[in-house]
Amino acid sequence: MKINVVKNVLQANDIVADKNRRAFQEGQVLAINLISSPGSGKTTLLEKTIPALDEQGPSIVIVGDLQTTRDAERVAGSALQVTQINTGMSCHLYANQIAESLPGLDLDQAAFLFIENVGNLVCPGEFDLGENLKVVLLSIPEGDDKVAKYPTVFRAADLVLLTKIDLLGAFNYDLVRVEEDLRKLNPVAPLLPFSATTGQGMEEWLGWLKEQRGTKVGAQAKFFNA
Amino acid sequence: MHEMSLASALMDEIINIACDNNVVRIEEIELRIGVLKQVVPEVMEEAFRAASFGTLAEGATLRQIEIPARAFCSRCDREFSPAVNDFLCPTCGEFSTTLLEGDELLLGSLTCVT
Ligand SMILES: Nc1nc2c(ncn2[C@@H]2O[C@H](COP(=O)(O)OP(=O)(O)OP(=O)(O)O)[C@@H](O)[C@H]2O)c(=O)[nH]1
Ligand SMILES: [Mg+2]
Ligand SMILES: [Zn+2]
Repeated sequence: MKINVVKNVLQANDIVADKNRRAFQEGQVLAINLISSPGSGKTTLLEKTIPALDEQGPSIVIVGDLQTTRDAERVAGSALQVTQINTGMSCHLYANQIAESLPGLDLDQAAFLFIENVGNLVCPGEFDLGENLKVVLLSIPEGDDKVAKYPTVFRAADLVLLTKIDLLGAFNYDLVRVEEDLRKLNPVAPLLPFSATTGQGMEEWLGWLKEQRGTKVGAQAKFFNA
Repeated sequence: MHEMSLASALMDEIINIACDNNVVRIEEIELRIGVLKQVVPEVMEEAFRAASFGTLAEGATLRQIEIPARAFCSRCDREFSPAVNDFLCPTCGEFSTTLLEGDELLLGSLTCVT
């Protein structure tokens, strides 16, 4: 017997992702999926961002990691709540894992939900978690050829943070090439140079988050303009 | 490397459909893969072998059909074939082109024994 299906293989994940999206909308939180290679600075970004974002409201963090709770511990002091998901052998988070974490989180009390995905530039780009926005971090030491090499994730990005920009001088790095490669894939996502060490780009990043919350969640949302 | 993630998602879909249709064994699976998914057929095959091991799809033939990428430039009013990492219109250089096809991962059909 032949069964004609013609169905998106990732549909089961996408259905749960849509449910998550509705939960974020109801909670009036802006949900951000942070994606990068291992070590590009996701947790460091959160350590710097959450305290600075405090006047725009509290943040909740979900950290996906193959092993250890180290990243969760690093943000525990500043975030309203932190949940760690140990993904074991899986190199990305699934919408289901987020859905399972939601009952334990006080979305009502928060303005932002940051999801630190597993360090990987391939699979996390394929699995929708229900986030409002995907932020892709690309650090200077990774090299200026990565946009063209990992097109899927850069095509899906809403913002690209060029992290560790303080190290630019130590590498033979072509910024123009990165911008050009990004535009071939993604006409709209801003490319923002950023350094957690010097603070470069911090103000623009915080401004972008605020603006996005206004657009995606609404200017009537709790905490907004607080 | 993402083939394993995709193969396990595929297996979840297959098992669901098999349960709904009282399938006892699956002989062939047709998978339609857009080129932009950057799936390597040999790696997908391996990943499927691993993901289907011990299931009712073990030993099934995985037929992979590649779907080429097609995009449209509204400024030129014409179609073109984008490269995996370049969606600019080859004629006018426009950034904002529309992808028509080539980004999908579809389970087409299952041939099975009930
Ligand atoms: N020079 C410099 N180093 C940075 C910057 N941001 C992060 N680092 C360093 O980069 C290393 C990795 O940073 P993490 O924040 O742990 O990176 P991550 O993306 O969370 O890593 P995984 O969760 O393991 O994928 C740490 O040693 C940081 O101190 C930066 O802006 N400049
Ligand atoms: Mg981290
Ligand atoms: Zn054109």
